[in-house]
Amino acid sequence: MKSIFSSLRDGRGFDVSLVAFPMAFLFLLSGLPLVYNIVMSLQEVDMFSLGTFARPFVGLKNYATLFSQPETWPILKNTALFVTASIAGQFLIGFGLALFFWNEFPGASWLRGLFLVSWVMPGLVVGAIWNWILSGDFGVLNYVLRSAGLISGNIFWRSDPAFALWAVILANIWLGISFNMILLSVGLSSIPKDLFEAAELDGAGAFARFFTITLPMMRATIGAVVSLGLIFTLQQFDLFAAITSGGPNNASNVAQYWAWDLSFRQYDFAQGATISVIMIVFVMIASVIYVRSTRQEVRG
Amino acid sequence: MTAQIELTEVNKHYGAYHALKNINLSIAKGSFVALVGPSGCGKSTLLRSLAGLEKITAGRLTIAGDEMTSVPPRKRDIAMVFQSYALYPHMTVEENLVYPLRMRGVSKTEARARAQDVAGFTGLSGLLTRYPRQLSGGQRQRVAMGRAVIRSPKAFLFDEPLSNLDAALRVSMRKEIRALHDRLGATSVYVTHDQIEAMTMADHVVVMKDGVIEQQGAPLTLYDRPENRFVAGFIGSPAMNFVAAHGIDSASIALDLPGRPQIAVSRHGEAPLKAGQAVVAGLRPEHLRIVEGEGAGQTGIGRFTLPVRLIESTGSLTYLSLGETGEIALVEHGREQLRPGDRLTLSIDPALVHLFDPQTGRRV
Repeated sequence: MKSIFSSLRDGRGFDVSLVAFPMAFLFLLSGLPLVYNIVMSLQEVDMFSLGTFARPFVGLKNYATLFSQPETWPILKNTALFVTASIAGQFLIGFGLALFFWNEFPGASWLRGLFLVSWVMPGLVVGAIWNWILSGDFGVLNYVLRSAGLISGNIFWRSDPAFALWAVILANIWLGISFNMILLSVGLSSIPKDLFEAAELDGAGAFARFFTITLPMMRATIGAVVSLGLIFTLQQFDLFAAITSGGPNNASNVAQYWAWDLSFRQYDFAQGATISVIMIVFVMIASVIYVRSTRQEVRG
Repeated sequence: MTAQIELTEVNKHYGAYHALKNINLSIAKGSFVALVGPSGCGKSTLLRSLAGLEKITAGRLTIAGDEMTSVPPRKRDIAMVFQSYALYPHMTVEENLVYPLRMRGVSKTEARARAQDVAGFTGLSGLLTRYPRQLSGGQRQRVAMGRAVIRSPKAFLFDEPLSNLDAALRVSMRKEIRALHDRLGATSVYVTHDQIEAMTMADHVVVMKDGVIEQQGAPLTLYDRPENRFVAGFIGSPAMNFVAAHGIDSASIALDLPGRPQIAVSRHGEAPLKAGQAVVAGLRPEHLRIVEGEGAGQTGIGRFTLPVRLIESTGSLTYLSLGETGEIALVEHGREQLRPGDRLTLSIDPALVHLFDPQTGRRV
């Protein structure tokens, strides 16, 4: 004990403790719950055995049960669609805005900052706002579409099974645009200006410059933005709770909302944990891509 | 010789800031022109205007006889070597070299053959598969030059290309750039703040200050006959000494130094001096001679005595700071057995004394 204190005082071992504290923090608050979750997915858990660790192990039975349920594949399909459409929308619009604000014009950086408003708003608030926008009878979106002559009757975004998931995707794209735009703006501004000037003198037009200089130089940033987007989208819960609650009849249900619903509304903790484990695998893949893309930064 | 690049009454404004003022410059085909001047003098702005990276506000620019004033950079057929080299970091050396050709629709096979050729005479043959980050500063410089020469453009522009290299490499790259220029028979415009680079590399030196061309001409003309005090002080190292003086008669002046020494000046077609006329005498440190032996210690016509303040010896050259505050610099070949406080008697060839107007700074 004495030697630990003296090592702190003389500086040796201080570096170890600097690493130890965050490691302990991560282990207690992230590592243990993760492991506990994986263990639960291999056990039979009910309301009565929730307070104890000594629960019967059932192997992969929970996984088998999960995939035998009729709603599982549609919900996983919804999740894939939600993730793909959200990231595509956030990324494309975010990149477009980043390129737009990259042209220095008066007030560009000020306006770009304003976009962060959507990012700082809590998901539930964003959900509430979109509930009004998407409202079937008096929503502004229906009004705009009707005035533009694109639709003849009102769309009931939140209760029509064909549109419910798209309603949440729409809100989620809006929520994520500013994050994508800011990260991509940072990536754009870190490309040295003289590369574009050199390319221009070398005979490259605007499109050639975009595809031969901008995109390759943005590879690391794009990798980071897309993998972070995947992680955030798989975490998106508030919007489902606020807009559709996964309904109607699971038409807009996704894995993360379903896991919560199973665990905390139907008290089927084992099934909830099983879905979580499947999601962990996907998030892990995204994390590896993210770490790799930030490591492989190409800078002159 | 025909003019490859011709600038007529070119002006550039950034808002209220007048960066280039009535620039008239004619660059002969095959010549190596250096734009030199202190930071902010407009030399880089002028170069970037030639490239088309800056739009000129007024005036006219032609390249090889074609009107280029508002033609975009990629259609001017001009290559530029940037101070940072601006190599594409995500491309190998070969990909960097072929980029200008590929952008102009040259086939892959032909472009690669040209890259091999250019790599051969720029010393990059073994480095074609490397990335810029794996190269030394000198090698990056060569890639930047290779990328410029690969497509035989109408002119090469260099924007302080050697400023990121160490002193020894700078001297050898100086020769390489000039040799490459001669080999290609190219027209080059070279921006530098280093007058030694300008003097050693260029056929024609353009000295700029505050957006104005102060003087242009052959390097030695600028050294021998500076048109104004700024050019006189800028060209030559160490810088020219300036001493207040006034005219005694048409061919001699009295320097404003202790003892009011009188020295002779020779006039080469300039207006004769008037008695009492205030002037500034410009005396190059390398033109001051130390009088030894018989005449030493005598002060009178053509001679003046100053105390030594500081002695710096580099082995081959000795730099002396003379006068009460060390304001007069002198350079001598070889070594001097001197100590601070010693008094030196100096003389100067009348033909090497430059005279300037104290108000306008113009040569008188």
